Amino acid sequence: MTSRTIQFLQYASIAWIWIFVLCVDGWIISLLIVARRLHDAINASVAIGIIAIPLFLGIASALTYVFFGLKKHRLVEEPERREL
Amino acid sequence: MNGNEIASKDDALFRSIEYTGKNFYYAVGIFVTIIAFAVFLYAGQIISGLGVTGMAQPVSWGFYIVNFVFFIGISHAGTLISAILRLSKAEWRRPITRMAEVITAIVLAIGGLHPILDLGQPGRIWHLVTSGRLQSPLLWDVTSITAYFAASTVYLFLPLIPDIAILRDRGTKPRWLYQFLSWGWQGTPKQHKVLERTINILMIGVIPIAVSVHTVISYIFAMTVQPGWHSTIFGPYFVVGAIFSGIAALLIVMIVFRRVYHLENYLKEIHFSYLSILLLIMSLLWFYFTFCEYLTTHYGNEPDEMRVFFYKFSGDFAPYFWAMILCNFIIPVAILSNKKTRKIKGILIASFTVLIGMWLERLIIVVPSLANPRLNYPTGIYIPSITEWALFAGGIAVFMMGFLLFAKFFPLISVWEIQEGRASSVKEVAHRLRSYLPDELEEDDITKALH
Amino acid sequence: MPRWGMVIDLNRCTGCGECAAACKIENNVAIVGPEESDQGRTMLWMDILTEYEGEYPNVKVRYIPRPCLHCDNPPCTKVCPVRATYLNEDGIVAQIFPQCIGCRYCMAACPYTVKSFNWYRPEWPDTMTSALNPDVSARPAGVVEKCTFCIHRLQIAKEQVAAENRDLEDGDYVTACTESCPTDAITFGDLDDPDSEVSRLRRTARAFRLLEELGTEPKVYYLYEVE
Repeated sequence: MTSRTIQFLQYASIAWIWIFVLCVDGWIISLLIVARRLHDAINASVAIGIIAIPLFLGIASALTYVFFGLKKHRLVEEPERREL
Repeated sequence: MNGNEIASKDDALFRSIEYTGKNFYYAVGIFVTIIAFAVFLYAGQIISGLGVTGMAQPVSWGFYIVNFVFFIGISHAGTLISAILRLSKAEWRRPITRMAEVITAIVLAIGGLHPILDLGQPGRIWHLVTSGRLQSPLLWDVTSITAYFAASTVYLFLPLIPDIAILRDRGTKPRWLYQFLSWGWQGTPKQHKVLERTINILMIGVIPIAVSVHTVISYIFAMTVQPGWHSTIFGPYFVVGAIFSGIAALLIVMIVFRRVYHLENYLKEIHFSYLSILLLIMSLLWFYFTFCEYLTTHYGNEPDEMRVFFYKFSGDFAPYFWAMILCNFIIPVAILSNKKTRKIKGILIASFTVLIGMWLERLIIVVPSLANPRLNYPTGIYIPSITEWALFAGGIAVFMMGFLLFAKFFPLISVWEIQEGRASSVKEVAHRLRSYLPDELEEDDITKALH
Repeated sequence: MPRWGMVIDLNRCTGCGECAAACKIENNVAIVGPEESDQGRTMLWMDILTEYEGEYPNVKVRYIPRPCLHCDNPPCTKVCPVRATYLNEDGIVAQIFPQCIGCRYCMAACPYTVKSFNWYRPEWPDTMTSALNPDVSARPAGVVEKCTFCIHRLQIAKEQVAAENRDLEDGDYVTACTESCPTDAITFGDLDDPDSEVSRLRRTARAFRLLEELGTEPKVYYLYEVE
C-alpha cells in the first residue's frame, strides 16, 4: 500500500470521527426541535443538549488536535531517531 | 537506543500478535459456536415475539435488562484503573491500563446492544432518532453511553498510538494497518508532548462521563415511583457496584491472559495485591451502601416497600439475596483481608464470586420490584427461557472473543509505558518523594538511596 | 373541551366480569391461551382486582374493576422514549401502537400495572373473527397496549357532533364497559361539566381514588361500599 493511500486513510479516519460527532449532535438538536414543536419535555431536552453537544465536540477536537499535532511535529528527514 | 533493540527485551508482549497457536483457533471456534447459537435463538425471538422469553406481566423486564446493567457496570474497570491511577501517578498501573481500557470498549458495545435485544419492535429503533423524548431516562442512557463509548475508545486509542508505531517499525503484518493507525508517530519529544497533554485532559474528562453513565442507568429505575426502585441512593450505589464488578472483571482478565500469554514478568504478584486491595475496599463500600438501603427501607416500614423487602429477605428471592451477600461481601472480604489468601488463586476465586454476586445484585434490583406491584395482584414469577440464557452466554462469548481479537492485533500491555517506566520513572518517583520530605536531600543522597 | 373520567360504584359491583369481557370484545384484545395465561400473560385492559379482608367466617370480598386510570399526571408518559404514550387534549392517556418500540418502560413505571404487552402476535379462534371490531386497529407482536377509554367511540362521536354542528358534551359517548355493566356500577362522562353524573358522584363523601398519595391524579374514581 502506497504511502499516499495510507495518508488518505488517515485523513479519512479523522473525517469520519467528525461526521460521527456531528451526526450525534445533529440528532440531539433535532430532538430539541421536536420537543419545542410538541411542547413536550423542553427543559430536559435543553439541559441534556447543553451538556452533551459540547462534550462530543470536545472529544472530536481532542482527536483532531492529536492528529494534526503528530503530523506537525514529525521529523521528516530522520526516520531512525526513536526517543522514548 | 534503537526502538528495535529496546523492543526485543519485551518480546513476550508481542507474542500474542506474532504467534497464533492451536489454542487460539479452538477458543475462537468455541466462542463463535456459542454466538451462533445465541443469534439463532434471537432470530426466533424476532420471528415469534418476546413470548419466547420468560417475561410476563408483571415481571416485564428480565435477563436482557439485568445483563444490560451488568455489562455496562463492568465498563467502569477502564475508567478507574486507567484514569484515576494515571491521575494519582500510581506507577503500578503501567501493565494494567491497556487491558482495562479494552474491557471498557468491548463491554460498552455489548451492553449498549442489550436494550435493542429487549425491544418488542427492534425494527422501529429509528423512532428514537426521529422522535425521541429526552425526558425519558432511556434517552439519557443512549446519550451517556454513546458519549462514554466515544470517550473511552479515544482514551484507548491515544495511548495505543506509540505501541502501534512500534509494531509498524517491527514490520508486523498487516503493515498498512499499523502505518495507517500510527498517525505518523515517531516518538519525537514534541509529539510526546501533544499526546501526553491530550491524554491528561481526557483522563480527567472521562471520569465524570463514566460516573454519569452508571448514574443514568440507575435513574431508569430510580425515576419511577415503584417500591424498591424509587431510592435517592441509587446513583452512587450503582456507580460503586459498577466499579466493584469492573475491578473483578479486570482481575480475571489479567489472571487469564497472564497465564495464556506468559506475562508473569509484567503482571507480578504486587499488581494483583494492590488491585485486590482496591477490590476489598469496593466490597466494603458496596456493603455499606446495601446496608444503608435496606436499613432505611426496613425502618420506614412502608407496606409496599416492605413487601418487596421481605420478598428479597425471606421470600422467593431469599436464596439469591443471601447468595449475593455471600458472594459480594463475605467471601471477598474473607479471602482478601488475609495476606496469606490474597494470592493469585485466592484473588481469582474472589473475583469470580464478585462477578456472580454483582450479577445477582442486578437481578435482585430488577425483578422483585416488578414482581410485587402496589395493587392487589398475585406476586409475579419469572423463569428465564433458553433464549435469554443463550443471549447471556452469547454476550460473554462476544466479550472473550473481542479480547482475543484485540490481543491478536495489539499488545495487551502498554509496551511504551513499560519502557518509559524503566527509563524515567525511577528517577521521577525519587524526586517526587524527596519533595514530600522536610529536609533538602542532595542528588548524591538520592543516588545512594537508589542503589 | 370535555375531560373524560369514570366513577365506579363498588357498592353496585358484583364482580361479574361483564365489563372485562365487553372490553376485550370491543377492543380486539387478544385471547391468550391457557399455557400463556398461566405464565401471567393474560391481556385484560379492564381487570378485576379481588381483595379479601378478614378471616373465615368473617371474610369480606371486594371487587375492584380496574381500567387504565388515565392519570392527569401520568408516570408512564414521562418515561416513554418515543412518544408512543402521551396525555392527549381529551384527557385520555393515548397509546400510539405504530410508534411503540416495545421497550416496556411504561409498563414498569405504571404504579397501577395497567398496561398489557403483546408477547406474541395476537390471534383469535376462527369462530371469533366475526366478532372483531373494525373500528379498533389491530396490534402487532411487541407493542404495549392498554385501556383507551374506547377512544374509537370518542372519534365517532366527534364526527357525529361535528355533523350536527354542535359541541361535544357529556353523554355523547360512553365506553364499552360502562354500557355493558348490568348493575350500572360504572358511570362515564365529562368531569369538567358540573352537571354531569360523574362530576356529581365524584364529589360525594364515598368517592376515593387508588394510590392517591402518589400524586398521579387518576380520572377514575371509586365509591366505597355502604354497610
